[in-house]
Amino acid sequence: MHKDVLIVEDEPAIRRLLVAALARSAMTYVEAGNASDALRLAAVQPAPLVALLDLGLPDRDGLEIIPQLVGYGLAVIVLTARDATDEKVTALDLGADDFVTKPFDSAELLARVRSALRRKTGSRTHPQRRDFEGGSIDREAHSTTIEGATVALTPREFDLLWALCEKPGRVLTHTSLLETVWGPAHRQDVDYLRVAIRALRKKIEADPSRPKLIMNEPGVGYRLAGSARMAE
Amino acid sequence: MTLPTPDNDAEHYLRLARQEQRGRLTVYLGAAPGVGKTYRMLQDAARRQAEGVDVVVGVAETHGRSETALLLEPLDVLPRHRMNHQGHMLDEFDIDRAIERHPALILVDELAHSNAPGSRHPKRWQDVEELLAAGIDVATTINIQHIESLNDVVAGFTYVRVRETVPDNILDDAELIVVDLPPDALIERLAAGKIYMPDTAGRALSNFFTPNKLAALRELALRFAASSVDRRLSDQLRTTGKESDFVAGERLMVAVSPGKGGAQVIRHAKRMADMFNAPWTAVVVESGRARAIIGAQREQLADNLALAASLGASLMTVAADRVGEALVDQARQLRASQIVIGKSRRSRWFEWVHGSVAQAVIRKAQGVAVHVVPLTDADEKPDKPREALLARDDMIALAIVAAMVGLLHLAQPWLPFGAIDLLLLVPVILSATVLRLRAGLWSALWAALCYNFFFIPPLHTFTIDDPQNVITFLVLALVATVVGWLAGRIRRQAETSAGVARLNASLARFAGLMGGLSQKEETAQVACREIGSLLDVEAIIVTIEDGDIVVRGNDAYRALDIVGEAAVRWALDRGVPTGRDTGTLNASDWQFHPLKTSLGTMGALGLARPSQERIIRPDDAIMLASLVDQTALAHERIVLEGQARQVDTLRERDRLRGALLSSIAHDLRTPLTAVIAAAEAIPVEGAFAEEVSIARSESRRLQRFLNDLLEASRIEHGTIEPRWESVDLTDIIADVLHALRQDHADARVTTRIDSDCPFVSSDALLLRHVLINLIDNALKFSPATAKVEVELLCRGQEVVCRVSDEGPGLPTNTDSLFDRFHRLEGSDRVGGSGLGLWIAKNFTEAVGGTITAGNRAGQGAVFEVILPVFRKDEAEGRAADA
Repeated sequence: MHKDVLIVEDEPAIRRLLVAALARSAMTYVEAGNASDALRLAAVQPAPLVALLDLGLPDRDGLEIIPQLVGYGLAVIVLTARDATDEKVTALDLGADDFVTKPFDSAELLARVRSALRRKTGSRTHPQRRDFEGGSIDREAHSTTIEGATVALTPREFDLLWALCEKPGRVLTHTSLLETVWGPAHRQDVDYLRVAIRALRKKIEADPSRPKLIMNEPGVGYRLAGSARMAE
Repeated sequence: MTLPTPDNDAEHYLRLARQEQRGRLTVYLGAAPGVGKTYRMLQDAARRQAEGVDVVVGVAETHGRSETALLLEPLDVLPRHRMNHQGHMLDEFDIDRAIERHPALILVDELAHSNAPGSRHPKRWQDVEELLAAGIDVATTINIQHIESLNDVVAGFTYVRVRETVPDNILDDAELIVVDLPPDALIERLAAGKIYMPDTAGRALSNFFTPNKLAALRELALRFAASSVDRRLSDQLRTTGKESDFVAGERLMVAVSPGKGGAQVIRHAKRMADMFNAPWTAVVVESGRARAIIGAQREQLADNLALAASLGASLMTVAADRVGEALVDQARQLRASQIVIGKSRRSRWFEWVHGSVAQAVIRKAQGVAVHVVPLTDADEKPDKPREALLARDDMIALAIVAAMVGLLHLAQPWLPFGAIDLLLLVPVILSATVLRLRAGLWSALWAALCYNFFFIPPLHTFTIDDPQNVITFLVLALVATVVGWLAGRIRRQAETSAGVARLNASLARFAGLMGGLSQKEETAQVACREIGSLLDVEAIIVTIEDGDIVVRGNDAYRALDIVGEAAVRWALDRGVPTGRDTGTLNASDWQFHPLKTSLGTMGALGLARPSQERIIRPDDAIMLASLVDQTALAHERIVLEGQARQVDTLRERDRLRGALLSSIAHDLRTPLTAVIAAAEAIPVEGAFAEEVSIARSESRRLQRFLNDLLEASRIEHGTIEPRWESVDLTDIIADVLHALRQDHADARVTTRIDSDCPFVSSDALLLRHVLINLIDNALKFSPATAKVEVELLCRGQEVVCRVSDEGPGLPTNTDSLFDRFHRLEGSDRVGGSGLGLWIAKNFTEAVGGTITAGNRAGQGAVFEVILPVFRKDEAEGRAADA
């Protein structure tokens, strides 16, 4: 039987905290205090589903092992400092699923882990439809419903919402969203994205100035609020 | 030697002298002694005193006249300073006491007076200068014949040459009051014995008192005063912009020759310059011949130049061989409209041979008026020791010729006749090149005579039979002379260029030596050793360190006497040479040259010479100037290197401090992360709900504190580099409210957001930090139930984010609000690093915005972050596109 979470953290106190939080939520885990242990544990089949990866490891830079962990099939959640914007973007570009900024709130951390687990284990019964908090998007019918009512979205807004719903709870960097929705030529046009997000929020958020669905990660990207569920 | 100060405190008068505000000079000008200048001055002084002005009498010569002495009674008279000069007791004006007393107005009679040897200044007018510089008004008296530029004129018709003169520029800014008395009245007074005359000069002075001479002197005095008034008037006109009243474009150039007559020409030029109200330049042409002049002549030239400078001329030296042409060229370059030149009365023959500079100038000058000042021959010829008719060199030349003649005499049978005259040229060339020109010419004459005597028949007589031989003799004489002259000239030129090369080589060597040094002590040692040997003097370097005089570079002179110290301080203070052979404190054994650099005066170079000669020979002046410059540069370099090292040390220390801070902060962060995570994990419920809540909020606070410290150190190190991107402030505000747990329905923060606000080009994280700090502050400083409002609005090309609270508001003076570690009164209660607003301000400015603080109309404070929509360079780019 595979473990749910691989904890990669060199700081014993934080490791103990993570262990306690995971145990309380009845998740299984293995621990590693450095990069080489982490890779060894990740290589064991069946591999753990999610890695909680601290980037400051004693033997190697945590960023370096992200591709390998992803390669072994783990969803990687990076633990990082608030102001390390470049680090976050790099981690996401290297294939990490998500990040949690230190100091973290264990409830939020657990929510992220659960969300990642769900993405791993959840089966997509309906390939053309995604549900999210308070609404759903259907690619086949090309329709969006919020609180039961149909909302008219422009093709771009639709594509954008779909892209976010494809990976609920995951942070999608500006460049990856731009590339998916507008195409590779527009990787740098963050303005396009901002305009579209703003328009989209006006249509799907209850209060666009205090969004609950499309969350901003300053300097990094956007995510669809973590509590989104797979269509079952 | 002691300084003539009662308390021997050199520092003291310097401090006083430094008071910048310059005093005004009032000069009572008279045509002759006895017109009543002192009397008038005292009268005016009494009136000023009655008006409440603090008047002191420094010097007033009553010459035993009782009515004058009576005027002195109500005035405060400064005691004289008694000096012992070679057994005579001399009462001199006490300048130190005068400066210390610092009255508003001081009377110093007889401006042209020469001070007793050993006084600070050799001349009283220098004392007066110092008083003026110290900000004291001075009233003084002078007779017209003591004015430098009029000295010749007066001497011209009175046949009395006054040695005590005052440079004209002293009187430039003075208010002149002419004390006038008609000649008849003056003679009457003389007859009545009312005019005092010193015994020694009595007879000479009596020459003055003829009606004609007095009338001339009176006219001179009145004219001088009138032209002074004129000049002041035109100065005024110029400053008020009426330039048409000013004779435009006149410019004088005076050629300075080394003779005594040079001074006369210079004074003449000065008078003309005054008349035209024109600037003037004194030019010396250094020709081969001029360079050959020596000793007394050189000094006379230096004196002449000093005179020109003191009369207000700018000085210029030109190197050229043809003096006349060089002068005309120079006049053209200076755009001079007038050339003043001296011409001695010499025989026509002399002029035909040597040419006359004046003639050459007149011939070449175009569009320039040439004024020729006639000089007597005696004036032009400097007093130099007459050389013996036959100097040592000449003797050697004769000996060489004699040897050659002997040799030729012996070898004659084997030589063709034509070879002899040619071979006789050899000693001529030899002596002209090896010895001096004169020796060459002598040997030419000697060779010609010998040729005639020994080789031209009839032999052993000076007669010549064959007319052919006459021609041969003449040719030999001519060729010998020409060859000798040319060879001599070439040699002299070679010597000049060798001299220049030697000078350059010495300077290059000196610069090289100085360049390699990095210690003050060592530099001083080397500089003094080199300067000492180059100029044949004793040299020291004097600096003032922490107020004390430090002598370096010469172990033999560790301490200076009191006059030396005063001279050093004066040199450093004023940036002028002082001490021996100069105008200030020349009683010192040392001459000091300030070492001036762009950093200020680094110190002074002291020079001394045991003998009574001038310390700096005129020929060495240029070299000295270069050496002083080089030494100053070396000192400047050492200081700069020291500063650079210090800056490096500081920078390194700063870097270490920064590294330490971030490493501590990092080490604190990790356990704090654990604490926060742990505290957040415990539910706020049950018996310990309050404690858990405190643990949570306090650990969060500690974390913010730590972040503030780290951000502050980033700001201090200037490592804030915005990560520019398009930012939607709506996002930032939402994110901030989320982070502050203020995005719930029960939150205290309300938002009012203009959803059409443009995005700003900015840094999301920096803005997030700014808003967190502002909103957090607003929450902390207002009551727990009060609302905080966050508004986002657009205003033209700006987006404004406004945070307002309902707290107590800000103090009226918000100047220091954004300072580091500024805390508002009562903020101890809520706690904070005192860095929040400072960081907010710095971050806002880093992204090109501004932050303001104020109070709301009702209650509470309001902060506004104003952000430009476009970055500065973007905005410019857009403007350019448009």
